[in-house]
Amino acid sequence: MKKNVLIVDDDQVWLKLIQKKFEKYSDTFHAHLAEDGLKAMEKLKANHISLVVTDLQMPNMDGITLLTHLVENYPDIPVIIVTAYSTPESKKTVLSGGAAGYIEKPFVIEDLAKKIIASLKRESEGGTLQTVPLEMFIQLIEMEQKTCTLRVTKKSTGKTGVLFFRTGDLLEARFNSLTGKEAAYEIFGWEDVVLSIQDDCVLVEKRIDDDLQAILLDAMRLKDENRATADSLADSRTTGSTGPQSPARLKGSRSRTAAGNMTLGSQSRMNGTTRERTSGFQQQSSPKKLTLEDKVRRKLKNIPGAGKSIDRVKRDKKWNEFIAQADKIGKSFGAGKLKVCFVDREEACHYMLVPTREPVEISVKPDGPIDKMLLSLSE
Amino acid sequence: MKKRLKEILDIAEVQGVIYLSVNGELIFNEFKAAPPLPLETINWSPFILALHGIRETELIFENIKIYIRLADSGFLIVVSGKFTNTSLVRLNCDILLPQLPELKKKSKGFARFFR
Repeated sequence: MKKNVLIVDDDQVWLKLIQKKFEKYSDTFHAHLAEDGLKAMEKLKANHISLVVTDLQMPNMDGITLLTHLVENYPDIPVIIVTAYSTPESKKTVLSGGAAGYIEKPFVIEDLAKKIIASLKRESEGGTLQTVPLEMFIQLIEMEQKTCTLRVTKKSTGKTGVLFFRTGDLLEARFNSLTGKEAAYEIFGWEDVVLSIQDDCVLVEKRIDDDLQAILLDAMRLKDENRATADSLADSRTTGSTGPQSPARLKGSRSRTAAGNMTLGSQSRMNGTTRERTSGFQQQSSPKKLTLEDKVRRKLKNIPGAGKSIDRVKRDKKWNEFIAQADKIGKSFGAGKLKVCFVDREEACHYMLVPTREPVEISVKPDGPIDKMLLSLSE
Repeated sequence: MKKRLKEILDIAEVQGVIYLSVNGELIFNEFKAAPPLPLETINWSPFILALHGIRETELIFENIKIYIRLADSGFLIVVSGKFTNTSLVRLNCDILLPQLPELKKKSKGFARFFR
């Protein structure tokens, strides 16, 4: 399986050169590039990176700060420091700070490539499993009280998440920008995965408080619910595509009878209710025609703790002016499309707003997982 | 205190900080890189009016986030990247807000003779 390596350096010529030179290792790893620590952090959130090679002196965020960030948030990712300004002190600082390697410029590219490949091999030193169901293997880890770092790759999408176990206990999980229980739920929900086992775990402290079995059970329940929803949608789609519709569905839909073979998704009116076109949540072709409010509820339901915190989901035009002004200000900053807003009016509930012609207002209790809900709605 | 405002700028991915009066007057701004439009050319008043009754709001766009917080004498606006930790921004604002009234523009009236 091809791994992702992130190369961070403010010298763009060097970056391009090294990417070119690494092309011959493209069957082993793919080189992602970043010009400074901040850009590297973005790449880390968006991709599963197996190793980072970074320069020390860079604008915005230097290599030491990036190393500290990686040790804290991505402890399993080895970091190789490359520098042109080496001193015994800087070498000591970075190696004691958690770097896996230190190379002085100029160097032979092949030497760096060898170091990278050797480090990458550690990710699957304990073996790779192609067909074992994840939940079964996790239970085995727990029973055997195994300490390991488990990388889980979903075959269909190539998404990779990491699970950290110490003596059978789940300490932490990470998938792109998600960490903790949220990442564990996401990873546990995957089917048909490849498991790569690393025989150690760099983490010591437990960052997920809940019991592994409880998380696993919750994740399985969510998986079943999602599967049931997908099945029912697929069923209803199949029914919808077989020509004649049930009388209940045709009731009050004159234009549809006239159109005959009109696709369900292209309807603008159904059962006398106007359905709006939306930007972030495009309506799917389904005879049940879920409302945007339903879709928002479904989307948020998968976030642990969100269900209890949602008070009400409704359409409300009173937010139109606020959203129009927010959109206008956003344009001044080249912000792109407004995805979602959070509003605190010092009331018993806070509001999250999904902008459409008639905005969706979600009233939430202040102690709910608001940041996670906003992140989900903005995706 | 402006130093404290600049501390918010040091948070990863924060691009700029703006302080507006309750009338939409631009009192303070500091950006790491120049914003696409000069801030002075933006008519903030309709936006400020739309914020009536709001204590705190976060606007999440395709490319950036804008966090707005009501203060005693105006609104603090933090423009940041999509992945900024809003809790950290909020925490810094909590520390900063009690000091903000000092940011009011100095009157050019009689008060200047009594300094």
